Amino acid sequence: MTPKTAAKRSAKPRSAGLPYFTFRRMADGSVLLSNDAGRTAAVSGKDFARFSAGRLGSGEPLYAELAAKGFVREMTDFEGYAAACSKKNAFLGAGPGLHILVMTLRCNHKCLYCQSGALGAGGRGTDMSRAVARKSVDFALKSTNPGITIEFQGGEPLLNWDTLKDSVLYARGRGRELGREVRLALVSNFSLMTEEKARFLVENEVSVCTSLDGPADLHNKNRTFSGGNSHAHTARWLKYFIGRAAKQVPEYRTFTPSALLTVSRYSLGREKDIVDEYLRQGLADIFVRPLAPIGYAKKLWPRIGYSSEEFARFYRNSLDYIIKLNAAGKKIRERHAVIMLEKIVNGGDPGYLDMRCPCGAAIGQVAYNYNGDLYACDEGRMVGWEGDDLFRIGNVLRDSYRKVMLAPASRACAAASSLESQPQCSRCVYKPWCGVCPVYNYETQGSLWGDMPSSGRCALSLGMFDALFGLLKKPASAKILKEWVQK
Amino acid sequence: MSENISIRVSLKKYSLDSVRYAAHSLGGLVYAFIKPLPGGKVLVELSPKPGTTAAKAAGCARLFRGELEDEKLRERVSSGNRELREFLLLKAMNYQPKPPEKDDSGLTPQQEKELNDLIAQIEGEIKAEAAKGASADPLGITSTWEDKYDPKNGRKKIR
Ligand code: SF4
Ligand code: SF4
Repeated sequence: MTPKTAAKRSAKPRSAGLPYFTFRRMADGSVLLSNDAGRTAAVSGKDFARFSAGRLGSGEPLYAELAAKGFVREMTDFEGYAAACSKKNAFLGAGPGLHILVMTLRCNHKCLYCQSGALGAGGRGTDMSRAVARKSVDFALKSTNPGITIEFQGGEPLLNWDTLKDSVLYARGRGRELGREVRLALVSNFSLMTEEKARFLVENEVSVCTSLDGPADLHNKNRTFSGGNSHAHTARWLKYFIGRAAKQVPEYRTFTPSALLTVSRYSLGREKDIVDEYLRQGLADIFVRPLAPIGYAKKLWPRIGYSSEEFARFYRNSLDYIIKLNAAGKKIRERHAVIMLEKIVNGGDPGYLDMRCPCGAAIGQVAYNYNGDLYACDEGRMVGWEGDDLFRIGNVLRDSYRKVMLAPASRACAAASSLESQPQCSRCVYKPWCGVCPVYNYETQGSLWGDMPSSGRCALSLGMFDALFGLLKKPASAKILKEWVQK
Repeated sequence: MSENISIRVSLKKYSLDSVRYAAHSLGGLVYAFIKPLPGGKVLVELSPKPGTTAAKAAGCARLFRGELEDEKLRERVSSGNRELREFLLLKAMNYQPKPPEKDDSGLTPQQEKELNDLIAQIEGEIKAEAAKGASADPLGITSTWEDKYDPKNGRKKIR
């Protein structure tokens, strides 16, 4: 063999050794790899070139690492790979777990970014009747999901207290009769909460969630309440429910309340103030959620919206600050990161419906409008309220469960949110943990499929994943992040 | 307004799919037009979208070339593993934990043959299943709780 032939042979890529994987070239020059089992490896640009050309020696430590993670075809542990894929996709045949009952479209707040299409508190004809609510509970119980959650939402659900109370008692009764686990949750601004209502909720094991956008000035700017100080109500009842959760009694479980942060243009640059406020209120989690130009918020976007780069910066700064606080012994976690870490680190499915494949529309959640109309998800209902019923999948009084699951919108959302059929997602390194949103795509790009390279939501996801993987590379921050999801 | 960028690509070196995917990945910055040229080539014209800065537009040719190279690898990896991937995903869908067996890190020729036979068998099953039409619901998504677990339907109750 001449030297020339030998050189030619050894330079030829031995692609046979490469299994299926996706990759992303990171800003620092490294390359992140992932596979269908959700395993990852970060390698230098040089090592990636050797790996992809099949020139990594089997005696190298990197080879062993890649082989253990399923990146060497001949060394694939089929059983382990299939088990990991199965675990992370366990939700596929589970049936819808989240059932959102819109108690009323009325609300006594006028939040700047409200996506729910709420009417004023005095609005008429948009309260859910007891009959529709009971039918909705029955429908929810048809789901094959072993642990369903019925979430009472609005508008402000406390404005329809009688139906809400009746639904809680009815759902508890039906759950007992059927031997089914039924979780109940209330999303409220707390402005109409009373001792009596709070006691009822606690005694019936209803968990509560509210909005907290930061310190009083910021919260009240975002969440306009003509009846007074929205922040003061939020703070008062958070304290009450945290206090109740701290004093568990044997008769029932009391849940710690949670709060949601919606980032508006006014929040930018105030990351520390916001995180400090969550700590001040005694909350252990903060959920940094971007605003979406869906429904009513779409009209207000020029005033309250921001670019994906601005949100990515906000998110990174928040996460950096939270990690710094953790390093100093303060306990607070960022929920988005927790959800993603649960997937990335533990390989599990935390049940987050907006970031999975296919997304949760219909097969993971159903939204029940006040009049019994069913939507593939709550965001789809908001689009409906703006006059476009594309995401309507039936009516609880008229349609069978099977018909609803087979509704055109149910199927279209599942198909459109399948990442394998999205040209950009199918080759994206974040595919094992990401998800696309047909409602967002439809509202911002005019099609359920959307176009990821020009999608603001995709850019947000990329920014959040980049931030997370950047932190996971640093031992000190990785330790803190992993502790957040330690079992 | 930034100028259009024209790049010639040989289809002997890159597949048309690779060219398409590479062009598509720049869709946040530019519109891409792909035109056939004589001699097994295509002309890729990148036209900056409104809002794309001149500096970003200037980097597009380099980005496109880099993406094209990466696409070539993705295509190789994807086509070289299609059957194996389908097999693994199908295995995952029907996964039942098994008791640990003896160490099987690596495939012997015999195992490889068995694997290929299995893949062929599964491909046949997938085709047969697909032929039954879209009404098949292997995950039971349209089933209600009663359909699945009610003892009256002859199925076991979940708890
Ligand atoms: S939405 Fe964007 S980040 Fe998510 S998988 Fe698709 S391309 Fe990747
Ligand atoms: S369509 Fe969007 S909002 Fe609705 S469930 Fe899917 S990801 Fe979530």
